[in-house]
Amino acid sequence: MTVDEMDLVRQLKGAAPLRPGAYEQAQAMLRDAMAESGRRTRRRTLSLRAKAGLGAGIAAAAAAAAGIALVVTPAPRPAGAAGAVPQASPVTSRLVSLAAMIKASGGTLPGDASLVIRTQTIDGKSPDVSYNLYTDSGAFYGGGDKKSLMQAVARHEDDADGIDAREVAAARSAAGGDLAAARVRMVNASPNYLGLGLGPAARKKIWAQAKAKSAEIYKEKGIEFPANPPAGKALQEDADNYLWNNSVEALSAGGGDPQVREGVLRLLSTISAVTVANSTAGGQPALTLTAGPEVFGGAGSEVLTVNARTGMPVKAVMPAEGNVPSSVQTFQVSRVTLAGIEAGRF
Amino acid sequence: MTSDAELIGRSLAGDGQAFMEVICRHEGAVGAYLARRAGREAAEDLLGEVWVAAFESRGTYDRSFAGARPWLYGVALNRLRRYWRSRPAEDLVPDVTSLGGGWDPWPAVDARVDTQAVLRAALARLKPEEREVLTLVAWEDLTAADAARVLGRPAGTARRLLHQARTALRNEPGVAALLTDLNRVKESQ
Repeated sequence: MTVDEMDLVRQLKGAAPLRPGAYEQAQAMLRDAMAESGRRTRRRTLSLRAKAGLGAGIAAAAAAAAGIALVVTPAPRPAGAAGAVPQASPVTSRLVSLAAMIKASGGTLPGDASLVIRTQTIDGKSPDVSYNLYTDSGAFYGGGDKKSLMQAVARHEDDADGIDAREVAAARSAAGGDLAAARVRMVNASPNYLGLGLGPAARKKIWAQAKAKSAEIYKEKGIEFPANPPAGKALQEDADNYLWNNSVEALSAGGGDPQVREGVLRLLSTISAVTVANSTAGGQPALTLTAGPEVFGGAGSEVLTVNARTGMPVKAVMPAEGNVPSSVQTFQVSRVTLAGIEAGRF
Repeated sequence: MTSDAELIGRSLAGDGQAFMEVICRHEGAVGAYLARRAGREAAEDLLGEVWVAAFESRGTYDRSFAGARPWLYGVALNRLRRYWRSRPAEDLVPDVTSLGGGWDPWPAVDARVDTQAVLRAALARLKPEEREVLTLVAWEDLTAADAARVLGRPAGTARRLLHQARTALRNEPGVAALLTDLNRVKESQ
């Protein structure tokens, strides 16, 4: 076959692939723009906190690419799997103590929804404020300001995707029941291909489906899709990544419910890479929970500050790491009524 | 699988996640497209700007086209043009005035080996739109019709530009010599 000019030009096709963190950063920029556009776009920060490498990163993107919301029903857990509950260390037992304190304080809070006013500053740029309303019945309304939130509620623009509801349910189950089962439930609350809680054959099948659907995308990115699902320590770390991200989301979505806060703290106490220290925030005693690099694929960390008496989220800080920019979020959580929001009483 | 057009429609109806899904499908290809034309560092900086520009202009997307990749390449090309214009002249080409658009970066691209140097020099001498159609077809595996979508030109125009580009390349003395050598070696094998 004769070589022609097109064959020659194709020889110049090669280019160094973008680093995986660049895709995360670009997506974060898009999310930022979406929020600023004033549309009902929730300010999920999962992409910033997701792993930059393989594993959870692949699973999340693969699921998104395939348009699949795969929810794995927890099944009896094989011995030694990542759902196992590690022994609480002296530091993380502070979380268990706080969880017990929240439980003892008892009682449900007034209102029928939690309003989370989230202020996020990415890479030191001007802060972005979002108004997020999570109802006890599982609906979600979002806005860039007070007025747009009121409009969203008035127009019944429920933007719930089901993930929050599953995360909150998993947290509640951790408060009163089997912690190992709740851990699996929380990991599986958001789409992923880990197949946590399933047997080896089922996990391999799910992984193969993910690979088939995403092979082309990852080839374009210059990343090799692993032949087999993660196992052992890698599985533990991927599961911890989901557990941390989803638990922090649950704390926002269900922070108005003491049972959710209790459950989230108990779940976070099972992550061995999370350390806890005493601090203060706004003059109030606080606990800072630091999720180390093991939770983020070996690079990066995140510090979550919660009120030391209530477990309410106060702040989440992620230092810059590689191409992923720094992020500082503060939370103002309050209990409200849907009718009150619609009437502007907040 | 849901088409890109359907997802963009859902995005216009307020489903933010739908647009993210479109991005996830094409980010590898668009990232590579940018890297091939501006280098990895610049591509990493530009990718987010491309997504934002695409999101803001998605209302103009022609949903009779199921796949959005050519459209995204078009958005990326617009960002690249702005990027190239913003670069200092010395980063682009010593004699900028010799080029039609005044912002053409190709002559400044490093040549690593002789063959590449010959090819890159030949590409640099093509008209910008001829070169864009040629590389969209050769590097991004698009048809001439899809390349036309990228440029916002009629399909017939893209086909003509591709034909002109190929003819011009074949007639470049350096490229012609390369082709002769390569085909002679192949024949002897």
